[in-house]
Amino acid sequence: MPAPEAIASPDTQDAASVGAGLDALDTPTVARRPLLRRVLATGVPPLVALALFIGVWQAVWASAIWPEYQLPAPLAVWDELVSTVADGSIWSITWTSVHRAVLGFAASVVIATPLGLLVAKVPVVRSAIGPLLAGMQSLPSVAWVPAAVLWFGLTDATIYFVVLLGAIPSIANGLVAGIDQVPPILPRVGQVMGAGSLDSARLILLPAALPGYLAGTKQGWAFSWRSLMAAEIIATSPQLGVGLGAYLKHGSDFNSIPGVIAAIFLILLVGVGIELLVFRPLERRVLRTRGLAPA
Amino acid sequence: MTTVLDRPVVTQRSAVELDGVGKAFGRGPDVVTALSGVDLRVRPGEFVVLLGASGCGKTTLLNLVAGLDEPSTGTVTVHSSRPAVMFQEPALLPWLDAGRNVELPLRLSGVGRADRRARAAELLDLVRLGGQARKRPHELSGGMRQRVALARALAATTAGTDEGGGLLLMDEPFAALDAITRDFLQGELRRIWAATGTAVLFVTHDVREAVRLGQRLVLLSSRPGTVVGEWNLVNVDDRESLTDEVTGRLREVISTHART
Repeated sequence: MPAPEAIASPDTQDAASVGAGLDALDTPTVARRPLLRRVLATGVPPLVALALFIGVWQAVWASAIWPEYQLPAPLAVWDELVSTVADGSIWSITWTSVHRAVLGFAASVVIATPLGLLVAKVPVVRSAIGPLLAGMQSLPSVAWVPAAVLWFGLTDATIYFVVLLGAIPSIANGLVAGIDQVPPILPRVGQVMGAGSLDSARLILLPAALPGYLAGTKQGWAFSWRSLMAAEIIATSPQLGVGLGAYLKHGSDFNSIPGVIAAIFLILLVGVGIELLVFRPLERRVLRTRGLAPA
Repeated sequence: MTTVLDRPVVTQRSAVELDGVGKAFGRGPDVVTALSGVDLRVRPGEFVVLLGASGCGKTTLLNLVAGLDEPSTGTVTVHSSRPAVMFQEPALLPWLDAGRNVELPLRLSGVGRADRRARAAELLDLVRLGGQARKRPHELSGGMRQRVALARALAATTAGTDEGGGLLLMDEPFAALDAITRDFLQGELRRIWAATGTAVLFVTHDVREAVRLGQRLVLLSSRPGTVVGEWNLVNVDDRESLTDEVTGRLREVISTHART
């Protein structure tokens, strides 16, 4: 075995320092904005927008263009909210809806994940139900409520059925899109290292598809929340208890516009809250570890 | 795999042997012959460079050696442990830090956590990235990423037993880097090759790179790829004139395609 001939010796001596210099020069630098600045930049604009909105609302109400039973004063809605807090009903109403949505969403994730994997990886399944799955997303799940009421009656089954049909297509489609967008070089890396199909899926394909999958679950949450509200508004019955949808329906039935607006506000609050508290941080973390979002 | 710094005992066996290898894609009138009648031997610990223009079937050949594809004719025999492949892009997994990227092949072959962590640290030291194990790929420069990929490839090919040393297949690994970084990494590759004793089959279309790096240079023609020239580089002093000679031969080979 011939020994590798020495490369020019200054080269060898300098290699370490040249390498260190190149590394120092080429390493991407990240500028971090101070925490206070970031909080101000993300927190202040939405608060200002909210204040403006309420101001305009108050002005329109004060001008009395619309009658009181159509456009309530901001203060009337506020009083309505305060009264639900005072008698404690806000907690049971919100909890009824949130726990339904969370349960339905969790079940959707459990069903949609293997479904998405099948569609993404088995060509026959993809051509058989892929278009259907994509089309299901454009079918408003409220369209299922009448059928579900006929099939299951005014029960929880009706509500969960509608929630599942709303959320599953989004989550499954998100996973399919995530897998389709994995750069082909990554599975090849696994292949040349001798990864079996199971290892390849677990260690390479699924983590690589995670951003798309997460986007799908986020949309799936939004869809399950919307579907739940549709189901709760249409399918009201004493056995079902009072959720946010039923609360809104009551407001409408009793011609109480402050109640209706308060219900809409609460529905929005829960939707935005879950998005901001659960999905936004999760998504940011996933994207940041991959260098896809600013630190 | 006790230590990287011992050169394995060199036997007369080859790390990989190709006998009359041909590869055709497609069928009938649309058939494309990528390789035909390629005979090639790489001895354990040897550094062989495959040089050729576009369409010479370099990548096809590496795929055959890596076991990603089957030859249409002839045989490919690999005597070393599993060959590792390095691509033009680092192809690091973006959600794993540098250390865990290097650990991945060890994890796939069932090496325990503590062992693979120690081995990854050792290999990162070897490519001068000691202490950078917790950095993620997007926090590293292009040259550093390619060195992580090299450490990962070394981990892959030395993952099993240490008999016979490894075999590193490199598919134009420095082509996407800037000239200064490429020059530095060529030197580093020589150093690391000497330190690990792994056999290298290096594919490039850069004559200067080929002459600088290899112990043996094999020139491939294009469509179909066949061996049309071979140079022993071990005792060559005047690399400049050899570079000119090889370039001349390569231009000749390429010119034949203009006439057909």
